[in-house]
Amino acid sequence: MSAILFRRTWAAQRVRLAFVMLALVAWGFLLPVIFATFGKEMGALARSGTFANVFDVMSRFTGGDVFSIRGTVALGLVHPIALALVTIQVVGFAAAAVAGERQRGTLEVLLARPLERRVLHRTLLAATLLFAALTEAAVLGGIVAGALLFGVAGDLRAVDIALCWLNGVALFGALGAISLAASVSFDRVGPALGIALAVTLVGYTVEFVGTLWPDAAWLRPYSLFRYFQPTKILAGAFEPGDLLVLGAILGAAVAWAAWLFPRRDLAAPS
Amino acid sequence: MPDRSARVPFRRVDAIATHALTKHYGSPRRWGHISAGVPPIRALDDLTLAVQAGEVFGFLGPNGAGKSTAIRLLLGFIHPTAGRAEVLGLDVATAGAGLRGRIGYLPGGIALYDGLTGTQLLDYLAAFYARPPVLRGGLVDQLGLSARDLGRPIRDYSRGMRQKIGIVQALQHDPELAILDEPSEGLDPLMQRAFYAILDERKAAGRTVFFSSHVLSEVERVCDRVGIVRAGRLVALERVAELVARRRRHVEIRLGAPAPALTSAIAALVGVSTFEARDGRLSFGLDGDVTRLLRLLEGAALTDLTIEPARLEDAFLELYDEPAP
Repeated sequence: MSAILFRRTWAAQRVRLAFVMLALVAWGFLLPVIFATFGKEMGALARSGTFANVFDVMSRFTGGDVFSIRGTVALGLVHPIALALVTIQVVGFAAAAVAGERQRGTLEVLLARPLERRVLHRTLLAATLLFAALTEAAVLGGIVAGALLFGVAGDLRAVDIALCWLNGVALFGALGAISLAASVSFDRVGPALGIALAVTLVGYTVEFVGTLWPDAAWLRPYSLFRYFQPTKILAGAFEPGDLLVLGAILGAAVAWAAWLFPRRDLAAPS
Repeated sequence: MPDRSARVPFRRVDAIATHALTKHYGSPRRWGHISAGVPPIRALDDLTLAVQAGEVFGFLGPNGAGKSTAIRLLLGFIHPTAGRAEVLGLDVATAGAGLRGRIGYLPGGIALYDGLTGTQLLDYLAAFYARPPVLRGGLVDQLGLSARDLGRPIRDYSRGMRQKIGIVQALQHDPELAILDEPSEGLDPLMQRAFYAILDERKAAGRTVFFSSHVLSEVERVCDRVGIVRAGRLVALERVAELVARRRRHVEIRLGAPAPALTSAIAALVGVSTFEARDGRLSFGLDGDVTRLLRLLEGAALTDLTIEPARLEDAFLELYDEPAP
Protein backbone atom coordinates (compact mmCIF):
# COMPACT_ATOMS: atom_id res chain seq x y z
CA MET A 1 0.00 0.00 0.00
CA SER A 2 1.18 3.54 -0.71
CA ALA A 3 0.90 5.84 2.30
CA ILE A 4 1.42 8.87 0.04
CA LEU A 5 -1.48 7.96 -2.23
CA PHE A 6 -3.64 7.01 0.76
CA ARG A 7 -3.08 10.40 2.43
CA ARG A 8 -3.87 12.18 -0.84
CA THR A 9 -7.05 10.09 -1.29
CA TRP A 10 -8.11 10.90 2.25
CA ALA A 11 -7.48 14.61 1.71
CA ALA A 12 -9.49 14.58 -1.53
CA GLN A 13 -12.45 12.70 0.00
CA ARG A 14 -12.60 14.03 3.54
CA VAL A 15 -15.11 16.85 2.95
CA ARG A 16 -17.62 14.65 1.12
CA LEU A 17 -17.05 11.90 3.68
CA ALA A 18 -17.71 14.35 6.52
CA PHE A 19 -21.03 15.44 4.98
CA VAL A 20 -22.12 11.84 4.34
CA MET A 21 -21.15 10.79 7.88
CA LEU A 22 -22.98 13.77 9.35
CA ALA A 23 -26.12 12.84 7.43
CA LEU A 24 -25.79 9.21 8.56
CA VAL A 25 -25.33 10.20 12.20
CA ALA A 26 -28.45 12.35 11.94
CA TRP A 27 -30.39 9.51 10.31
CA GLY A 28 -29.21 7.02 12.93
CA PHE A 29 -30.03 9.44 15.74
CA LEU A 30 -33.55 9.90 14.37
CA LEU A 31 -34.45 6.19 14.58
CA PRO A 32 -34.49 5.82 18.40
CA VAL A 33 -36.18 9.23 18.61
CA ILE A 34 -39.00 8.01 16.35
CA PHE A 35 -39.25 4.77 18.30
CA ALA A 36 -39.28 6.56 21.65
CA THR A 37 -41.91 9.00 20.44
CA PHE A 38 -44.25 6.84 18.34
CA GLY A 39 -43.18 3.22 18.90
CA LYS A 40 -45.74 2.29 21.57
CA GLU A 41 -48.64 3.93 19.73
CA MET A 42 -47.65 2.30 16.42
CA GLY A 43 -47.31 -1.10 18.12
CA ALA A 44 -50.73 -0.75 19.67
CA LEU A 45 -52.18 0.20 16.27
CA ALA A 46 -50.58 -2.84 14.66
CA ARG A 47 -51.84 -5.19 17.37
CA SER A 48 -55.36 -3.75 17.07
CA GLY A 49 -55.66 -5.41 13.65
CA THR A 50 -56.77 -2.25 11.84
CA PHE A 51 -53.85 -2.31 9.36
CA ALA A 52 -52.69 -5.84 10.09
CA ASN A 53 -51.74 -6.73 6.51
CA VAL A 54 -49.68 -3.58 5.99
CA PHE A 55 -47.74 -4.06 9.19
CA ASP A 56 -47.27 -7.74 8.45
CA VAL A 57 -45.70 -6.92 5.09
CA MET A 58 -43.52 -4.22 6.66
CA SER A 59 -42.25 -6.52 9.33
CA ARG A 60 -41.55 -9.24 6.75
CA PHE A 61 -39.24 -6.92 4.77
CA THR A 62 -37.02 -6.16 7.72
CA GLY A 63 -37.38 -9.71 8.98
CA GLY A 64 -38.74 -8.95 12.41
CA ASP A 65 -40.63 -6.74 14.77
CA VAL A 66 -40.49 -3.08 13.75
CA PHE A 67 -42.21 -1.97 16.92
CA SER A 68 -39.20 -2.62 19.09
CA ILE A 69 -35.95 -0.67 19.26
CA ARG A 70 -34.15 -3.61 17.59
CA GLY A 71 -36.67 -3.66 14.76
CA THR A 72 -36.40 0.09 14.38
CA VAL A 73 -32.61 -0.07 14.23
CA ALA A 74 -32.76 -2.89 11.67
CA LEU A 75 -35.22 -0.94 9.55
CA GLY A 76 -32.97 2.11 9.74
CA LEU A 77 -29.94 0.14 8.58
CA VAL A 78 -31.65 -1.35 5.51
CA HIS A 79 -33.66 1.78 4.70
CA PRO A 80 -32.95 3.25 1.23
CA ILE A 81 -31.88 6.58 2.78
CA ALA A 82 -29.07 4.98 4.79
CA LEU A 83 -28.06 2.68 1.95
CA ALA A 84 -28.05 5.52 -0.59
CA LEU A 85 -25.82 7.66 1.62
CA VAL A 86 -23.31 4.86 2.14
CA THR A 87 -23.49 3.99 -1.58
CA ILE A 88 -22.69 7.59 -2.56
CA GLN A 89 -19.50 7.50 -0.54
CA VAL A 90 -18.29 3.92 -0.93
CA VAL A 91 -19.58 2.77 -4.34
CA GLY A 92 -19.32 6.24 -5.88
CA PHE A 93 -15.74 6.68 -4.75
CA ALA A 94 -14.62 3.20 -5.82
CA ALA A 95 -16.26 3.35 -9.26
CA ALA A 96 -14.57 6.67 -10.07
CA ALA A 97 -11.25 5.96 -8.34
CA VAL A 98 -9.31 4.64 -11.35
CA ALA A 99 -11.66 5.27 -14.29
CA GLY A 100 -12.02 8.90 -13.19
CA GLU A 101 -8.25 9.39 -13.16
CA ARG A 102 -8.08 7.76 -16.59
CA GLN A 103 -10.82 10.02 -17.93
CA ARG A 104 -9.19 13.17 -16.56
CA GLY A 105 -5.76 12.06 -17.79
CA THR A 106 -4.13 12.17 -14.36
CA LEU A 107 -3.64 8.39 -14.09
CA GLU A 108 -0.59 8.45 -16.35
CA VAL A 109 0.94 11.25 -14.26
CA LEU A 110 0.46 9.02 -11.22
CA LEU A 111 1.65 5.80 -12.86
CA ALA A 112 4.79 7.53 -14.14
CA ARG A 113 5.87 7.57 -10.46
CA PRO A 114 7.50 4.53 -8.89
CA LEU A 115 4.08 3.11 -8.07
CA GLU A 116 2.94 -0.36 -9.14
CA ARG A 117 -0.58 -0.71 -10.45
CA ARG A 118 -1.26 -3.46 -7.90
CA VAL A 119 -0.17 -1.10 -5.10
CA LEU A 120 -2.43 1.61 -6.50
CA HIS A 121 -5.36 -0.83 -6.49
CA ARG A 122 -4.60 -2.07 -2.97
CA THR A 123 -4.39 1.50 -1.68
CA LEU A 124 -7.71 2.48 -3.22
CA LEU A 125 -9.26 -0.74 -1.88
CA ALA A 126 -8.02 0.16 1.61
CA ALA A 127 -9.58 3.61 1.25
CA THR A 128 -12.85 2.01 0.07
CA LEU A 129 -12.92 -0.31 3.10
CA LEU A 130 -12.12 2.59 5.41
CA PHE A 131 -15.00 4.62 3.97
CA ALA A 132 -17.32 1.62 4.40
CA ALA A 133 -16.18 1.21 8.01
CA LEU A 134 -16.59 4.91 8.83
CA THR A 135 -20.00 5.35 7.19
CA GLU A 136 -21.39 2.22 8.89
CA ALA A 137 -19.90 3.42 12.19
CA ALA A 138 -21.56 6.81 11.65
CA VAL A 139 -25.09 5.43 11.29
CA LEU A 140 -24.65 3.01 14.19
CA GLY A 141 -23.03 5.73 16.28
CA GLY A 142 -26.06 7.95 15.67
CA ILE A 143 -28.39 5.11 16.67
CA VAL A 144 -26.52 4.39 19.89
CA ALA A 145 -26.33 8.09 20.77
CA GLY A 146 -30.06 8.56 20.16
CA ALA A 147 -30.98 5.40 22.05
CA LEU A 148 -28.88 6.42 25.06
CA LEU A 149 -30.20 9.98 25.04
CA PHE A 150 -33.83 8.91 24.89
CA GLY A 151 -33.44 6.01 27.30
CA VAL A 152 -34.39 3.23 24.88
CA ALA A 153 -31.02 1.47 24.65
CA GLY A 154 -32.01 -1.28 27.08
CA ASP A 155 -32.60 -3.95 24.40
CA LEU A 156 -29.50 -3.16 22.39
CA ARG A 157 -26.34 -5.16 23.10
CA ALA A 158 -22.91 -3.74 22.26
CA VAL A 159 -21.78 -7.02 20.67
CA ASP A 160 -24.81 -7.04 18.34
CA ILE A 161 -24.15 -3.44 17.32
CA ALA A 162 -20.54 -4.40 16.59
CA LEU A 163 -21.69 -7.39 14.50
CA CYS A 164 -24.13 -5.16 12.60
CA TRP A 165 -21.22 -2.84 11.86
CA LEU A 166 -19.10 -5.77 10.68
CA ASN A 167 -21.93 -7.07 8.48
CA GLY A 168 -22.44 -3.60 6.97
CA VAL A 169 -18.72 -3.17 6.34
CA ALA A 170 -18.63 -6.61 4.67
CA LEU A 171 -21.61 -5.71 2.44
CA PHE A 172 -20.26 -2.35 1.34
CA GLY A 173 -16.71 -3.71 1.23
CA ALA A 174 -17.93 -6.27 -1.31
CA LEU A 175 -19.90 -3.66 -3.27
CA GLY A 176 -16.90 -1.31 -3.12
CA ALA A 177 -14.52 -4.04 -4.34
CA ILE A 178 -16.86 -4.82 -7.26
CA SER A 179 -17.04 -1.10 -8.06
CA LEU A 180 -13.25 -0.80 -7.92
CA ALA A 181 -12.91 -3.84 -10.20
CA ALA A 182 -15.27 -2.12 -12.65
CA SER A 183 -13.22 1.06 -12.31
CA VAL A 184 -9.94 -0.62 -13.32
CA SER A 185 -11.72 -2.31 -16.24
CA PHE A 186 -12.87 0.85 -18.05
CA ASP A 187 -11.33 4.07 -19.33
CA ARG A 188 -14.34 6.20 -18.49
CA VAL A 189 -16.38 6.72 -15.35
CA GLY A 190 -19.75 6.12 -17.05
CA PRO A 191 -19.49 2.37 -17.65
CA ALA A 192 -17.74 1.73 -14.32
CA LEU A 193 -20.34 3.67 -12.36
CA GLY A 194 -23.12 2.05 -14.39
CA ILE A 195 -21.98 -1.45 -13.47
CA ALA A 196 -21.42 -0.53 -9.83
CA LEU A 197 -24.86 1.04 -9.47
CA ALA A 198 -26.51 -1.79 -11.39
CA VAL A 199 -25.05 -4.38 -9.01
CA THR A 200 -26.18 -2.29 -6.02
CA LEU A 201 -29.66 -1.32 -7.23
CA VAL A 202 -30.55 -4.64 -8.82
CA GLY A 203 -29.31 -6.44 -5.70
CA TYR A 204 -31.40 -4.23 -3.46
CA THR A 205 -34.49 -4.61 -5.66
CA VAL A 206 -34.10 -8.40 -5.79
CA GLU A 207 -33.87 -8.57 -2.00
CA PHE A 208 -36.82 -6.22 -1.60
CA VAL A 209 -39.03 -8.15 -4.02
CA GLY A 210 -37.82 -11.52 -2.74
CA THR A 211 -38.78 -10.75 0.84
CA LEU A 212 -42.22 -9.38 -0.03
CA TRP A 213 -43.19 -11.84 -2.76
CA PRO A 214 -42.70 -15.53 -1.89
CA ASP A 215 -42.64 -16.56 -5.56
CA ALA A 216 -39.50 -14.45 -6.05
CA ALA A 217 -37.78 -15.66 -2.89
CA TRP A 218 -35.51 -17.96 -4.89
CA LEU A 219 -33.77 -14.86 -6.26
CA ARG A 220 -32.61 -13.64 -2.87
CA PRO A 221 -29.36 -15.64 -2.64
CA TYR A 222 -28.19 -13.83 -5.78
CA SER A 223 -28.40 -10.46 -4.04
CA LEU A 224 -25.58 -9.24 -1.79
CA PHE A 225 -28.23 -7.61 0.42
CA ARG A 226 -29.50 -11.09 1.33
CA TYR A 227 -26.31 -11.45 3.37
CA PHE A 228 -26.85 -8.21 5.30
CA GLN A 229 -29.15 -9.22 8.16
CA PRO A 230 -29.13 -6.70 11.02
CA THR A 231 -32.51 -7.94 12.27
CA LYS A 232 -31.18 -11.45 12.82
CA ILE A 233 -28.02 -10.11 14.41
CA LEU A 234 -29.95 -7.86 16.80
CA ALA A 235 -32.17 -10.82 17.65
CA GLY A 236 -29.06 -12.76 18.63
CA ALA A 237 -29.10 -15.01 15.53
CA PHE A 238 -25.93 -13.89 13.80
CA GLU A 239 -24.96 -16.10 10.86
CA PRO A 240 -21.18 -16.14 10.20
CA GLY A 241 -21.93 -17.64 6.78
CA ASP A 242 -23.21 -14.23 5.64
CA LEU A 243 -19.80 -12.72 6.32
CA LEU A 244 -18.10 -15.61 4.54
CA VAL A 245 -20.22 -15.12 1.41
CA LEU A 246 -19.59 -11.37 1.36
CA GLY A 247 -15.90 -11.96 2.04
CA ALA A 248 -15.68 -14.44 -0.83
CA ILE A 249 -17.32 -11.97 -3.23
CA LEU A 250 -14.96 -9.21 -2.06
CA GLY A 251 -12.02 -11.58 -2.60
CA ALA A 252 -13.19 -12.52 -6.10
CA ALA A 253 -13.56 -8.85 -7.08
CA VAL A 254 -10.11 -8.05 -5.70
CA ALA A 255 -8.57 -11.02 -7.51
CA TRP A 256 -10.16 -9.94 -10.81
CA ALA A 257 -8.89 -6.38 -10.46
CA ALA A 258 -5.41 -7.52 -9.36
CA TRP A 259 -5.21 -9.79 -12.41
CA LEU A 260 -6.62 -7.38 -14.97
CA PHE A 261 -5.23 -3.98 -13.98
CA PRO A 262 -1.51 -4.69 -14.48
CA ARG A 263 -2.27 -6.35 -17.83
CA ARG A 264 -4.43 -3.59 -19.25
CA ASP A 265 -3.12 -1.26 -21.91
CA LEU A 266 -3.47 2.33 -20.81
CA ALA A 267 -3.58 4.04 -24.17
CA ALA A 268 -3.33 7.82 -24.43
CA PRO A 269 -6.35 9.60 -22.94
CA SER A 270 -8.79 10.71 -25.62
CA MET B 1 4.92 -11.92 -36.18
CA PRO B 2 8.29 -13.52 -35.29
CA ASP B 3 9.96 -12.12 -32.20
CA ARG B 4 13.57 -11.49 -33.19
CA SER B 5 14.36 -9.57 -30.04
CA ALA B 6 16.32 -12.36 -28.39
CA ARG B 7 19.02 -12.30 -31.07
CA VAL B 8 20.30 -8.75 -30.57
CA PRO B 9 22.07 -7.95 -27.30
CA PHE B 10 21.73 -4.42 -25.89
CA ARG B 11 24.74 -2.26 -25.19
CA ARG B 12 25.17 -1.35 -21.55
CA VAL B 13 25.68 2.33 -22.37
CA ASP B 14 22.23 2.70 -23.88
CA ALA B 15 19.73 4.68 -21.83
CA ILE B 16 16.99 3.41 -24.12
CA ALA B 17 17.21 0.41 -26.39
CA THR B 18 14.37 -1.10 -28.34
CA HIS B 19 14.47 -3.99 -30.71
CA ALA B 20 11.67 -4.79 -33.14
CA LEU B 21 9.29 -3.08 -30.74
CA THR B 22 5.83 -3.47 -32.17
CA LYS B 23 2.38 -2.50 -31.03
CA HIS B 24 -0.73 -3.52 -32.90
CA TYR B 25 -4.09 -2.82 -31.33
CA GLY B 26 -6.59 -5.63 -31.67
CA SER B 27 -3.81 -7.96 -32.80
CA PRO B 28 -4.17 -11.75 -32.73
CA ARG B 29 -1.27 -12.17 -30.32
CA ARG B 30 -2.88 -9.98 -27.72
CA TRP B 31 -6.47 -11.10 -27.95
CA GLY B 32 -6.26 -14.49 -29.60
CA HIS B 33 -8.46 -13.52 -32.52
CA ILE B 34 -9.31 -10.62 -34.77
CA SER B 35 -12.88 -9.46 -35.09
CA ALA B 36 -14.19 -10.31 -38.55
CA GLY B 37 -13.50 -7.50 -40.99
CA VAL B 38 -11.55 -5.38 -38.48
CA PRO B 39 -7.82 -5.43 -39.19
CA PRO B 40 -5.42 -4.63 -36.32
CA ILE B 41 -4.25 -1.03 -36.03
CA ARG B 42 -0.49 -0.88 -36.56
CA ALA B 43 0.45 1.83 -34.09
CA LEU B 44 4.16 0.96 -34.09
CA ASP B 45 6.06 -1.48 -36.29
CA ASP B 46 9.47 -2.97 -35.70
CA LEU B 47 11.03 0.00 -33.91
CA THR B 48 14.71 -0.59 -33.30
CA LEU B 49 16.74 2.26 -31.87
CA ALA B 50 19.27 3.01 -29.17
CA VAL B 51 19.59 6.24 -27.23
CA GLN B 52 22.93 6.59 -25.54
CA ALA B 53 23.33 7.77 -21.97
CA GLY B 54 23.93 11.53 -21.81
CA GLU B 55 22.33 12.14 -25.18
CA VAL B 56 19.51 14.54 -26.07
CA PHE B 57 17.39 12.57 -28.52
CA GLY B 58 14.56 14.00 -30.57
CA PHE B 59 11.71 11.79 -31.64
CA LEU B 60 9.82 13.29 -34.54
CA GLY B 61 6.78 12.43 -36.54
CA PRO B 62 3.39 13.76 -37.56
CA ASN B 63 0.25 13.18 -35.54
CA GLY B 64 -0.61 9.50 -35.33
CA ALA B 65 2.87 8.39 -36.42
CA GLY B 66 3.44 6.31 -33.30
CA LYS B 67 5.50 8.67 -31.11
CA SER B 68 3.22 8.55 -28.10
CA THR B 69 2.76 4.80 -28.52
CA ALA B 70 6.54 4.36 -28.38
CA ILE B 71 6.77 6.55 -25.27
CA ARG B 72 3.93 4.67 -23.57
CA LEU B 73 5.66 1.37 -24.35
CA LEU B 74 8.89 2.68 -22.79
CA LEU B 75 7.00 3.61 -19.63
CA GLY B 76 5.10 0.31 -19.44
CA PHE B 77 1.68 1.94 -19.82
CA ILE B 78 0.96 -0.38 -22.73
CA HIS B 79 2.39 -3.78 -23.58
CA PRO B 80 4.20 -4.64 -26.83
CA THR B 81 2.71 -7.03 -29.35
CA ALA B 82 6.25 -8.08 -30.22
CA GLY B 83 9.82 -7.04 -29.54
CA ARG B 84 11.27 -5.65 -26.36
CA ALA B 85 12.50 -2.45 -24.77
CA GLU B 86 15.16 -1.76 -22.18
CA VAL B 87 15.39 1.51 -20.30
CA LEU B 88 18.48 2.30 -18.21
CA GLY B 89 19.55 -1.31 -18.72
CA LEU B 90 16.33 -2.79 -17.34
CA ASP B 91 13.67 -4.67 -19.26
CA VAL B 92 10.55 -2.50 -19.23
CA ALA B 93 8.31 -5.58 -19.07
CA THR B 94 9.74 -6.72 -15.74
CA ALA B 95 11.46 -3.70 -14.16
CA GLY B 96 8.34 -2.12 -12.66
CA ALA B 97 8.28 0.75 -10.21
CA GLY B 98 12.02 0.76 -9.51
CA LEU B 99 12.72 1.80 -13.08
CA ARG B 100 10.16 4.61 -13.06
CA GLY B 101 11.86 5.97 -9.96
CA ARG B 102 14.82 6.84 -12.20
CA ILE B 103 12.75 8.45 -14.95
CA GLY B 104 11.04 11.82 -15.23
CA TYR B 105 8.02 11.94 -17.53
CA LEU B 106 6.09 14.81 -19.03
CA PRO B 107 2.97 13.61 -20.87
CA GLY B 108 1.74 15.51 -23.90
CA GLY B 109 -1.08 17.89 -22.95
CA ILE B 110 -0.52 17.07 -19.30
CA ALA B 111 -3.56 16.79 -17.01
CA LEU B 112 -3.04 17.86 -13.41
CA TYR B 113 -5.00 17.75 -10.16
CA ASP B 114 -6.89 21.01 -10.44
CA GLY B 115 -7.82 21.21 -6.76
CA LEU B 116 -4.20 21.35 -5.60
CA THR B 117 -1.93 24.37 -5.61
CA GLY B 118 1.29 24.21 -7.61
CA THR B 119 3.35 23.57 -4.49
CA GLN B 120 0.97 20.89 -3.21
CA LEU B 121 1.09 19.10 -6.56
CA LEU B 122 4.89 19.19 -6.77
CA ASP B 123 5.19 17.99 -3.15
CA TYR B 124 2.71 15.18 -3.77
CA LEU B 125 4.36 13.93 -6.94
CA ALA B 126 7.89 14.27 -5.52
CA ALA B 127 6.98 12.27 -2.41
CA PHE B 128 6.83 9.04 -4.43
CA TYR B 129 10.54 9.20 -5.27
CA ALA B 130 13.46 8.14 -3.13
CA ARG B 131 15.38 11.10 -4.59
CA PRO B 132 14.55 14.48 -3.07
CA PRO B 133 13.37 17.24 -5.46
CA VAL B 134 16.81 18.85 -5.52
CA LEU B 135 16.27 20.68 -8.80
CA ARG B 136 12.89 22.21 -8.01
CA GLY B 137 14.17 25.60 -6.82
CA GLY B 138 16.34 26.12 -9.89
CA LEU B 139 13.67 24.96 -12.33
CA VAL B 140 11.02 27.17 -10.76
CA ASP B 141 13.35 30.17 -11.03
CA GLN B 142 14.34 29.42 -14.62
CA LEU B 143 10.73 29.01 -15.72
CA GLY B 144 9.64 32.16 -13.93
CA LEU B 145 7.22 30.53 -11.49
CA SER B 146 6.87 32.80 -8.47
CA ALA B 147 5.91 31.70 -4.96
CA ARG B 148 2.58 33.42 -5.57
CA ASP B 149 2.03 31.34 -8.74
CA LEU B 150 2.83 28.15 -6.88
CA GLY B 151 0.41 29.06 -4.10
CA ARG B 152 -2.54 29.35 -6.51
CA PRO B 153 -4.85 26.43 -7.36
CA ILE B 154 -3.91 24.72 -10.61
CA ARG B 155 -7.44 25.23 -11.92
CA ASP B 156 -6.54 28.93 -12.26
CA TYR B 157 -3.39 28.24 -14.32
CA SER B 158 -3.03 29.11 -17.98
CA ARG B 159 -1.90 26.47 -20.45
CA GLY B 160 1.67 27.74 -20.34
CA MET B 161 1.72 27.67 -16.54
CA ARG B 162 0.48 24.09 -16.55
CA GLN B 163 3.23 23.15 -18.96
CA LYS B 164 5.83 24.78 -16.71
CA ILE B 165 4.55 22.82 -13.71
CA GLY B 166 4.63 19.71 -15.89
CA ILE B 167 8.28 20.32 -16.73
CA VAL B 168 9.17 20.92 -13.07
CA GLN B 169 7.41 17.74 -11.88
CA ALA B 170 9.23 15.71 -14.54
CA LEU B 171 12.71 17.01 -13.72
CA GLN B 172 12.62 18.10 -10.07
CA HIS B 173 14.06 14.83 -8.73
CA ASP B 174 17.01 14.96 -11.15
CA PRO B 175 16.07 11.82 -13.10
CA GLU B 176 18.69 9.85 -15.00
CA LEU B 177 16.37 9.84 -18.00
CA ALA B 178 13.74 12.44 -18.88
CA ILE B 179 11.02 11.42 -21.34
CA LEU B 180 9.23 14.53 -22.51
CA ASP B 181 6.26 14.53 -24.89
CA GLU B 182 5.94 17.89 -26.70
CA PRO B 183 7.67 19.73 -23.85
CA SER B 184 7.66 23.26 -25.27
CA GLU B 185 3.97 23.19 -26.18
CA GLY B 186 2.27 26.28 -24.79
CA LEU B 187 5.51 28.02 -23.74
CA ASP B 188 6.18 31.55 -24.99
CA PRO B 189 9.48 32.21 -26.84
CA LEU B 190 11.20 33.46 -23.67
CA MET B 191 10.20 30.37 -21.73
CA GLN B 192 11.17 28.16 -24.67
CA ARG B 193 14.64 29.64 -24.43
CA ALA B 194 14.70 28.99 -20.68
CA PHE B 195 13.59 25.42 -21.35
CA TYR B 196 16.41 24.90 -23.87
CA ALA B 197 18.86 26.14 -21.23
CA ILE B 198 17.42 23.56 -18.81
CA LEU B 199 17.97 20.82 -21.39
CA ASP B 200 21.54 22.00 -21.92
CA GLU B 201 22.11 21.78 -18.16
CA ARG B 202 20.66 18.28 -18.01
CA LYS B 203 22.95 17.24 -20.81
CA ALA B 204 25.96 18.85 -19.12
CA ALA B 205 25.07 16.90 -15.97
CA GLY B 206 25.23 13.68 -17.98
CA ARG B 207 21.49 13.04 -17.95
CA THR B 208 19.64 11.63 -20.92
CA VAL B 209 16.70 13.42 -22.52
CA PHE B 210 14.30 11.73 -24.93
CA PHE B 211 11.68 14.03 -26.29
CA SER B 212 9.09 14.18 -28.99
CA SER B 213 8.35 17.42 -30.73
CA HIS B 214 6.75 19.08 -33.71
CA VAL B 215 8.94 22.17 -33.35
CA LEU B 216 11.77 21.32 -35.72
CA SER B 217 13.82 24.40 -34.95
CA GLU B 218 13.98 23.35 -31.31
CA VAL B 219 14.99 19.82 -32.22
CA GLU B 220 17.73 21.24 -34.42
CA ARG B 221 18.76 23.54 -31.59
CA VAL B 222 18.93 21.04 -28.71
CA CYS B 223 19.17 17.48 -30.03
CA ASP B 224 22.24 15.41 -30.72
CA ARG B 225 20.33 12.85 -32.76
CA VAL B 226 16.85 12.40 -34.11
CA GLY B 227 14.63 9.50 -34.96
CA ILE B 228 11.84 10.18 -37.42
CA VAL B 229 8.85 7.91 -37.29
CA ARG B 230 6.16 7.72 -39.89
CA ALA B 231 3.09 5.48 -40.05
CA GLY B 232 4.48 3.48 -37.13
CA ARG B 233 7.89 2.89 -38.72
CA LEU B 234 11.26 4.48 -38.11
CA VAL B 235 12.27 6.18 -41.37
CA ALA B 236 15.42 7.98 -40.21
CA LEU B 237 17.78 7.72 -37.28
CA GLU B 238 20.90 9.87 -37.35
CA ARG B 239 22.78 12.84 -35.99
CA VAL B 240 21.04 16.15 -36.59
CA ALA B 241 24.17 17.62 -38.18
CA GLU B 242 24.54 14.67 -40.59
CA LEU B 243 20.86 14.68 -41.49
CA VAL B 244 21.01 18.37 -42.29
CA ALA B 245 24.36 18.10 -44.12
CA ARG B 246 23.16 15.51 -46.59
CA ARG B 247 19.85 17.20 -47.25
CA ARG B 248 19.12 19.23 -50.32
CA ARG B 249 20.13 22.90 -50.40
CA HIS B 250 18.47 25.35 -52.73
CA VAL B 251 20.94 27.16 -55.01
CA GLU B 252 20.37 30.23 -57.23
CA ILE B 253 23.06 31.65 -59.54
CA ARG B 254 22.85 34.77 -61.71
CA LEU B 255 25.39 34.75 -64.53
CA GLY B 256 27.04 37.98 -65.64
CA ALA B 257 27.26 36.65 -69.24
CA PRO B 258 25.96 33.59 -71.14
CA ALA B 259 28.02 30.51 -70.19
CA PRO B 260 26.59 27.39 -71.88
CA ALA B 261 29.53 25.19 -70.89
CA LEU B 262 29.24 26.13 -67.22
CA THR B 263 25.46 25.67 -67.33
CA SER B 264 25.82 22.17 -68.77
CA ALA B 265 28.53 21.28 -66.26
CA ILE B 266 26.37 22.35 -63.32
CA ALA B 267 23.35 20.49 -64.68
CA ALA B 268 25.46 17.34 -64.94
CA LEU B 269 26.91 17.67 -61.42
CA VAL B 270 26.20 14.80 -59.04
CA GLY B 271 23.51 15.78 -56.51
CA VAL B 272 21.87 18.43 -58.68
CA SER B 273 18.13 18.12 -59.16
CA THR B 274 15.17 20.20 -60.40
CA PHE B 275 17.58 22.19 -62.56
CA GLU B 276 16.20 25.28 -64.34
CA ALA B 277 18.08 27.79 -66.54
CA ARG B 278 16.31 30.93 -67.74
CA ASP B 279 17.59 34.40 -68.70
CA GLY B 280 20.99 33.87 -67.13
CA ARG B 281 19.42 32.61 -63.87
CA LEU B 282 20.19 29.06 -62.75
CA SER B 283 18.05 27.47 -60.07
CA PHE B 284 18.42 23.95 -58.67
CA GLY B 285 18.49 21.71 -55.63
CA LEU B 286 21.80 20.33 -54.43
CA ASP B 287 22.26 17.25 -52.26
CA GLY B 288 25.43 16.64 -50.29
CA ASP B 289 28.77 18.40 -50.53
CA VAL B 290 28.89 21.92 -52.04
CA THR B 291 32.66 21.86 -52.69
CA ARG B 292 32.38 20.54 -56.24
CA LEU B 293 29.91 23.26 -57.17
CA LEU B 294 32.16 25.96 -55.75
CA ARG B 295 35.11 24.57 -57.74
CA LEU B 296 33.06 24.78 -60.94
CA LEU B 297 32.10 28.38 -60.18
CA GLU B 298 35.70 29.43 -59.51
CA GLY B 299 36.56 32.25 -61.93
CA ALA B 300 33.06 32.34 -63.49
CA ALA B 301 31.39 35.72 -64.08
CA LEU B 302 28.58 35.73 -61.51
CA THR B 303 26.42 38.63 -60.41
CA ASP B 304 24.84 36.76 -57.52
CA LEU B 305 25.05 33.42 -55.71
CA THR B 306 22.61 32.17 -53.06
CA ILE B 307 22.94 28.83 -51.29
CA GLU B 308 20.10 28.40 -48.82
CA PRO B 309 21.25 26.29 -45.88
CA ALA B 310 19.53 22.96 -45.44
CA ARG B 311 17.23 22.90 -42.42
CA LEU B 312 15.89 20.00 -40.44
CA GLU B 313 12.47 21.07 -41.60
CA ASP B 314 13.46 20.39 -45.19
CA ALA B 315 14.85 17.01 -44.24
CA PHE B 316 11.73 16.26 -42.30
CA LEU B 317 9.40 17.28 -45.12
CA GLU B 318 11.48 15.37 -47.66
CA LEU B 319 11.17 12.21 -45.62
CA TYR B 320 7.46 12.78 -45.42
CA ASP B 321 7.12 13.31 -49.15
CA GLU B 322 8.58 9.88 -49.79
CA PRO B 323 6.14 7.01 -50.28
CA ALA B 324 4.96 5.31 -47.10
CA PRO B 325 7.24 2.46 -45.97
